[in-house]
Amino acid sequence: MQQQTPAKKKKVKVPRVVGGVETMVEIEVDDEGGPEWGPNDKHTLLNHRLTRVDAPVKVSGAALYTHDRRLPGMLYGRVVRSPHAHARVLRVDASAARRIPGVRAVVGATDEEVVEGSNKAAGEAAKKNRTEAGGAEAAAGGKVVLFAGQPVAAVAADTPEVAEDAVRAIRVEYEVLPHVVRAEDSMKEGAPKVTPDPNEQNVEEREKRGDAAKTEAAFAQCDVIVEAEYRTPILHHSCLETHGNVVEYRGGDAATVYASTQGTFTIPSDAAQELGLKESAVTAIVEHMGGGFGSKFGIGIEGMLACQLSKQAKAPVHLMLTRKDEFLLAGNRSGSWQKFKAGATRDGRLVALRATQYRLGGLGRGSQAGQPYIYTAANFYREVFSVHTHEDASRAMRAPGHPQANFAMESLMDELAYKLGIDPLEFRKKNLKDTAYHRQLDRGAREIGWERRNRTPGGGAGALKRGMGCAVGTWGGGGNNQCKVDVTVARDGSVTVAVGSQDLGTGTRTLTRAIVAEELGLGINEVAERIGDSRLGNANSSGGSTTSASLSPSVKDAATNARLAVAAKVAPLLGGAKPEEVKFAAGQVSAGGKTLAWKQACAALPSAGITAHGEWKSNLQASGVHGACFAEVEVDTETGHVRAVKMVQVQDVGLPLNRLAVESQINGGMIQSLGMVLYEGRVMDAQLGLQLNPGFGDYKLPGSLEIPELVPLIDDEDKREAVIGVGEAAIIPSVGALANAVFNACGVRVRELPITPDKILMGLTKGGQTA
Amino acid sequence: MADERDEGRRKKNLPHDPSRRRFLKGVGVAGAGAALAEHLLLKSEAEPTASALADASTRPVEGALNLALDVNGQRRSVSVEPRTTLLGALRHNLDPPLTGPKLVCDMGTCGACTVLMDGKPVYSCLVLAVDAAGKRLTTVEGLGSPENLSGVQKAFVEHDGLMCGFCTPGFVTTVSAYLKKNPNPTLAEVREACKGNFCRCGTYPRVFEAALAASKKT
Ligand code: FES
Ligand code: FES
Repeated sequence: MQQQTPAKKKKVKVPRVVGGVETMVEIEVDDEGGPEWGPNDKHTLLNHRLTRVDAPVKVSGAALYTHDRRLPGMLYGRVVRSPHAHARVLRVDASAARRIPGVRAVVGATDEEVVEGSNKAAGEAAKKNRTEAGGAEAAAGGKVVLFAGQPVAAVAADTPEVAEDAVRAIRVEYEVLPHVVRAEDSMKEGAPKVTPDPNEQNVEEREKRGDAAKTEAAFAQCDVIVEAEYRTPILHHSCLETHGNVVEYRGGDAATVYASTQGTFTIPSDAAQELGLKESAVTAIVEHMGGGFGSKFGIGIEGMLACQLSKQAKAPVHLMLTRKDEFLLAGNRSGSWQKFKAGATRDGRLVALRATQYRLGGLGRGSQAGQPYIYTAANFYREVFSVHTHEDASRAMRAPGHPQANFAMESLMDELAYKLGIDPLEFRKKNLKDTAYHRQLDRGAREIGWERRNRTPGGGAGALKRGMGCAVGTWGGGGNNQCKVDVTVARDGSVTVAVGSQDLGTGTRTLTRAIVAEELGLGINEVAERIGDSRLGNANSSGGSTTSASLSPSVKDAATNARLAVAAKVAPLLGGAKPEEVKFAAGQVSAGGKTLAWKQACAALPSAGITAHGEWKSNLQASGVHGACFAEVEVDTETGHVRAVKMVQVQDVGLPLNRLAVESQINGGMIQSLGMVLYEGRVMDAQLGLQLNPGFGDYKLPGSLEIPELVPLIDDEDKREAVIGVGEAAIIPSVGALANAVFNACGVRVRELPITPDKILMGLTKGGQTA
Repeated sequence: MADERDEGRRKKNLPHDPSRRRFLKGVGVAGAGAALAEHLLLKSEAEPTASALADASTRPVEGALNLALDVNGQRRSVSVEPRTTLLGALRHNLDPPLTGPKLVCDMGTCGACTVLMDGKPVYSCLVLAVDAAGKRLTTVEGLGSPENLSGVQKAFVEHDGLMCGFCTPGFVTTVSAYLKKNPNPTLAEVREACKGNFCRCGTYPRVFEAALAASKKT
């Protein structure tokens, strides 16, 4: 295993952006003498196919999620939502609700507290801004709701049924104000102002970058020019476990919050503030978690309300959002509207690109990667704006801003390639400097049989037409110094690794255990993990695909320290070997020709066992991943129906900690892209300002009948001996690949997602192009 | 709006109230009648007489009803309201509760709440608790325990047929019931069997693999 190296300096490869391209460069760094992973193909557990350690409890219904918590005397909470997109709340009358037997608490109704947006930070900012603006709204007689679905009150009752009755019994009087829920309307002169913040206009400039004049001039050198607008709608995370918490506060000076969250450590401070307790007096528990995808950080408006209810009732409150709540007030992925003019030369060089990018994040700012995304354009100029509407604020969603940017840029690249008559794959390679993409594109092309693609888009006989498309994507996935891990080895040989991190379904429990088991030469089931508890060592939130890269180095460090500590105690039994010489493998501890079984060795430990601590080591992780996707689809030109046939995605991840879990993540990314490209999208009624499809009956998620053959490929040519997160990278390239496959199949370029049959049919009648 | 019951704007108990729960209440009364006839209703405000039943079919029943549910081979008594769904009864009213079946949409669109009723998969959020009295109910907990997993559950573990796992009890239950009916399915048949279940994490390909692997072992 690892040896301490006496050298003071060592050379490591790190990703660096050189000329807009990420490449690996060798640099010299201080040798901390800490652990290293060693070659990726030399592991005994890591980089293997490990089944999830929490799978048995999950497949048998024994896993306790936040939604499943039941506590003595627990009440069920529900929220009352505004039915108007923009309105002043004149009066909230909860008297009838309070008279219903079993109703224990009502909050928000008579409070001065204003609830603004589902995003706590946004809410507080709005609150502050309004106060600073002289309390105009408050003086006008009440709080203002800014989107349909915004909570105006909440109730807690003995049963969910009674809580629902109470919600119905609360009468709210509103003065309806003018609203705007479409970007085009919001941008118009005289449009209703979206937020009360005097400093925040409906259209806000975010970025201007590049050289406008040079770009404009460069169009003259281009052989082909494409001008196009691409749009993507607001999407919903649709976590199967809705947002929510079980707040256990029975009076006194301490509380426990069971939370469905991506950030165990984001909960105590938020909850403490609502409950009027010290942060250290609040414990957060996240034992199992039913999906987050970027939408679950902090306690949220639903958590604030649960705290207030629990405080009022002095009883635990279970407040999990309903599915409709989830659609209306639990955040979303911002929509996008991107306008391009782009030009290329006959030899396949992207010479000029001008982009106007609108992020459509409702009350939020939205996100969108800057164009030309990962391509290199000799000349570019972009302007980026947020356009506000009376809709719930956008939140992070799996690779924020990237799928939107990918769809637009990869569609544009395809349009240019076809116009030039160049193979879209070759055109991409000419404009991608990083050779990792070239390697991945070639591999994906071989795997799907790129030569089988439709030579003429829409060509071929028959109504069913097949086609292929490809695209690439990138993400960071590096970690940072936030995780504190303890590994304890008891005298009976049992091993526990403890850290307050959370497992969203990404396999955190499994990788945590596997790292320790491998280091100690044990089987994965001989190590137990304790996670999801704020009383354990600090850990980062699971956002930005940072969990694995932040957590694994600390776990590795703790495991290494534990190994050395055990070795020091056992060495005397092994002929006085040096601790570093003691080998741990296959359940045995050996040195100097002597071997002890693990349990025999541990009998030499002090009665309290040993506990070793681990800290983050930057050399054990890296940042920067590449992915390429190829998709094959079949379009029924009579019905406009698109069926995905096959998808191949090649993804590098440095050291894949668990191949099975990485592949599942890549599958999951492809499937979520499939939803984005073909099925999903929030639909608003502009007149009423209401969402028309706030449920799975009308918001279509990919289901079992729509899943194509999926081929997730880990790019083992990436030799980095470092952990990099993959969750977000996995959703990006498949978006462009699918959209491009549709064009290759039927010759219709749909520039607005989702690609529904009506758009295909419209395009076919127009002879190929849709707006 | 697709879902009136959430809007909080309708007065309860108006004769014209078309909300779904109210509608279900009516259905539930007929179901309660069936349960009464089978002497499975332990105690009720309504006496199990013919006139009460006839009356009940036109008048909503409210308040607590005590029933016996036959769940995972055990007779469990539970107090519910006429409108309480089977899913609600299992998750909230039973003590200790059965939280394997998940509450995800509460309106029959996702399959996470799937349980077996007399061996057939049903969305337990669309079945009233009173209608489940007298039926043989199996939840995912009844198919196997972490220490003693069923063949289907083992296959889900081995083929990584889960990520966050919130949809998993529904898939495990659906697949288990289907393999009983068709022990040797094709991939297309497995897809068809799973079409009433959603997974947001995207485990479908591995759910299919698990189902096919489990079928080969049975
Ligand atoms: S909770 Fe029953 S189908 Fe979704
Ligand atoms: S595993 Fe998360 S929803 Fe299916």
